[in-house]
Amino acid sequence: MRPFRPIARCLPATLLALALLGGALTGCATRPPADDPEALEEFRATNDPIEPWNRAMYDVHQAIDTVVLRPVAVGYRAVVPGPVRTGVANALSNLRSPVILINDALQGETQRFGTTLGRFLLNTTLGVGGILDVAEDLGLPEHSEDFGQTFAVAGVEEGPYLFIPILGPSNPRDLLGYAADIAADPFTWLTFGNRDLAETLQYIRAGATVVSTRESLLDTLDDVQRTSLDPYATLRSAYRQRRAHEIANRPGARESAPQGLGTGLGAGLGSATPDTAQP
Amino acid sequence: MPTHHLGRDRPDDRPAARRIENEIPEPMIERRTLLAAGAALVLARATPASAQGVDTTRATAFIQSTGQDLVAAINSNAPVAQRRERVAAVLRNAVDVEGVGRFILGRWWRQATPEEQAVYLRLFEEILIRNLSARFGEYQGVRFSLGRSQQRTEDDTLVNTVIERPNSAPFSLDWRVGEVGGQPRVVDVIAEGTSLRLTTRSEYSAVISRNGGRTSALLDAMRNQVAQLAAREGR
Repeated sequence: MRPFRPIARCLPATLLALALLGGALTGCATRPPADDPEALEEFRATNDPIEPWNRAMYDVHQAIDTVVLRPVAVGYRAVVPGPVRTGVANALSNLRSPVILINDALQGETQRFGTTLGRFLLNTTLGVGGILDVAEDLGLPEHSEDFGQTFAVAGVEEGPYLFIPILGPSNPRDLLGYAADIAADPFTWLTFGNRDLAETLQYIRAGATVVSTRESLLDTLDDVQRTSLDPYATLRSAYRQRRAHEIANRPGARESAPQGLGTGLGAGLGSATPDTAQP
Repeated sequence: MPTHHLGRDRPDDRPAARRIENEIPEPMIERRTLLAAGAALVLARATPASAQGVDTTRATAFIQSTGQDLVAAINSNAPVAQRRERVAAVLRNAVDVEGVGRFILGRWWRQATPEEQAVYLRLFEEILIRNLSARFGEYQGVRFSLGRSQQRTEDDTLVNTVIERPNSAPFSLDWRVGEVGGQPRVVDVIAEGTSLRLTTRSEYSAVISRNGGRTSALLDAMRNQVAQLAAREGR
């Protein structure tokens, strides 16, 4: 029997190892001299001590994105009708429900816990396996939650900024959270009595998540590339602000669809992600 | 790295930037764009040093009227150049361009020469305006309404609005309103927790840092951006 190792499970560890190794090898951004307090303050606030390495990883990501991810997303948008894409995004969001539920509970967010539970039950049944978001219409709006946020609520520092190819913007806390999300996800472990089938489904889900998420970010990222004078710096700032906002769980704040990964581009650019929900 | 540095304050580049005319900008998309444009709007007003709290009712009324003016300008049938002038007038009036611009340049502001500062502020304002005017097409039919929450903070007031465009999911945009010289002024635009003025500060600072701390490198990049936005508007 083949080893049961869905790529989604190995990926974070590999990427993390790569990032850490790289950071160790190529080094750190030049720390400003001690007699320049403003520059030091900015260096600290930017939280990107291994910037040269991260920028190299960003270039790697851009190359992969240009050749594979973006074209696939463009094709997906061109070929698949909007309502179908919305259904795919809804179904992927629904599959994330158990992890969101666990994190709602761990953060003591009882009301959100109830919302997530209600959404999962309604959408899985009335919503035909999550394809239709009937719960939204019934006053149960979606929200995202993940272990990275739970760690943050528990007081874990984010650590230095990391840019991981394919995953996008992250940091050690969110990366660890991403691994925990996968480990805690019942759909990672359910085999339905058939390991090959389960493994195939895992791949399909991972692939669909990447394509659907990238498609939802097409316009946003195109816009960043076109208008930012330094897209790397823009994404870094947007990701960190966005995560802080998600962690805060401010009452009444609108949130984007939870189909994303809890780290990386899907989480960092919330201003764009809700677009998936549109026709 | 740009080769020509110090395109030093050529006082003549404004006309170049102003050249463009007419046409409907191509429709582009979603939120970020809107966000960027909206943010640009809001941004302009930030005056961290001098802004003070604004009464919530007053701030809300201010955003309401500013938003209506902008929406009217964007949706009018006038030629693009004319609509751009209207938008420019609204923004100059509603946004604390100098305060926001200084906030964004941050520590580099004091290191810039007075000429560089002047050129920077002019380019910054031009970019705010053109970020909107380059997107008239995609914003056609835009509507906005006041959202649920308005909240007062120590320094300013956040006014929540909902932006709707045809064929797009509505999204929420927060406007940070401060008081500058006795008048309410927009000092930042925030979409889902992402502040335009913070994001832009990070972007501009990265450009300067990576070009040996030369503000002139940023100015070159900004000129370039104005030209690109102008070209899009012409399409």
